[in-house]
Amino acid sequence: MLKNLRKLLYDPTLQAKKDFLRSLELFKDLKDRELAELAQALHCRVYRQGEVLFQEGDIGRALFILESGSVELSRRRPDGAGQPLYKLKPGEFFGEMALLEQLPRAATAQAAEDSRLYLLYLSKLESLIQEHPRLGIQVMTHLAQLLSARLRRATIGATASHASS
Amino acid sequence: MRRPFPFIPFILGAGLAFYLLSRLGHALIPFILSSALAYVTHPFINYCEVKGLRRAFSVTLFYLIALAAVSVAANNLLQMASAELSFLQEQSPAYLATIKGIVSAAKQFIAQNVPFASSIIERWDIQLYEPLMRQAENIPGYLLGIFPLLSFLFLIPLITYFMLIDGPKAVRHMIQACPARHVERILHILSEIDASLGNYLRGLLIASMAVAIASFIGLSLMGLSQALAISLLAGLGNFVPYLGPAMGAAIGGLAAIFQFNSFAAGLKVAALFAGIRLADDLLLEPFIAKRSVKLHPLAFLLSLMAGGELFGFIGLVFAVPAACVIKELGKVLWAWYATETRLAAPEPHPAVEVPYV
Repeated sequence: MLKNLRKLLYDPTLQAKKDFLRSLELFKDLKDRELAELAQALHCRVYRQGEVLFQEGDIGRALFILESGSVELSRRRPDGAGQPLYKLKPGEFFGEMALLEQLPRAATAQAAEDSRLYLLYLSKLESLIQEHPRLGIQVMTHLAQLLSARLRRATIGATASHASS
Repeated sequence: MRRPFPFIPFILGAGLAFYLLSRLGHALIPFILSSALAYVTHPFINYCEVKGLRRAFSVTLFYLIALAAVSVAANNLLQMASAELSFLQEQSPAYLATIKGIVSAAKQFIAQNVPFASSIIERWDIQLYEPLMRQAENIPGYLLGIFPLLSFLFLIPLITYFMLIDGPKAVRHMIQACPARHVERILHILSEIDASLGNYLRGLLIASMAVAIASFIGLSLMGLSQALAISLLAGLGNFVPYLGPAMGAAIGGLAAIFQFNSFAAGLKVAALFAGIRLADDLLLEPFIAKRSVKLHPLAFLLSLMAGGELFGFIGLVFAVPAACVIKELGKVLWAWYATETRLAAPEPHPAVEVPYV
């Protein structure tokens, strides 16, 4: 009886969304309530295979989180042909620079198969940060660590290629 | 490459919106008011959803609580307020007669003591004073214009209920129907508008409630018999910038002069409302900064005239908040256009040259 009442009153999709968000590196230290607030701020969309999410040069507005399917990132070569950069798997996210500054995207994103993604906008994140500062600190710390790791890797790569040439 | 501003689509869109508004104006009023109510109630629904409750249950719970609150208010506060309002309405001819008496005494005094003043007063009488008094006599008639709003009392909660229940579903369908590449752009605009309008409307409601509560406490402490009705009028009037405290000071001041037979009592009430207005500016606005949409005096006048022309008395009441909402929308669209066309490209960070170590 109590179980049925719980089923009737409580939304099972929110718990599933929270579990998924908790599995991501960016949100792993958030509390249950913060994850629920974050889940409420996300927009969801299903992209069919071949649909372009954004193109290189478009102004970045949102962070994309891949829940299912796969997305391919590619960059235009000087001859105009696309150069594949990376194929994203479920649980990975991309376009996080849009949460820091609204600048042109450095690559094109295209759904490699039918994919379900969550979008997080800067304005939503700003509202969350104002209302739940701890959430903001956690997300921004993870974002800074991620950017630092990428920059370190790029610097080492550039130094190695300079030394070999 | 910088894209030119899409003037023609913008003008066509604005023209179409204006045409539809003028044609469907009265039919749209309950929907517009319901949208505002949905925005205001959204934090409660969101709170319940964050706790894990289903949306339909959260909305129903909100309606049950609101129904209980309205029943209590209708039984106690509203009965008191309506009795006080009827008293104020009955007293309005006496208040006007007092104002006329004070003004004619002042005119007589000035005409006797200031040279050439009589011809100036005569012109002022014809051009400003008499038309103003004629309008003042019509005030009870204008208040009757609020009655069409009462017919929305059942319609607005119904529309709001469906908006709250199905709103997110409609947004989800719209996002899914939108061409993939434009989803990010359109959702960005929607998110910005949502944040901006939500903050503005909720801030406005908080400020109006604060004005009503502060004036009720102040007037009750002064011992004014119609404290509840006057504070309710001041709170409702606060939806139009400056109108709430001004209305409270004028009506409350006159009521105090009559009740206490003292001009000083009227001045005390006026000082109370000046203090409330100041406290709103200095203490409340920093916490609800997003509400502070400043309108140019010309825009203020134009909105009042257009609102009155399109929707009558209801238009006058909601003209300024509507103009503030339009200004907020304009700001969001302009910010979007400026970043999209790199008009407002961010400067590179000054420390970008320092190597990564």
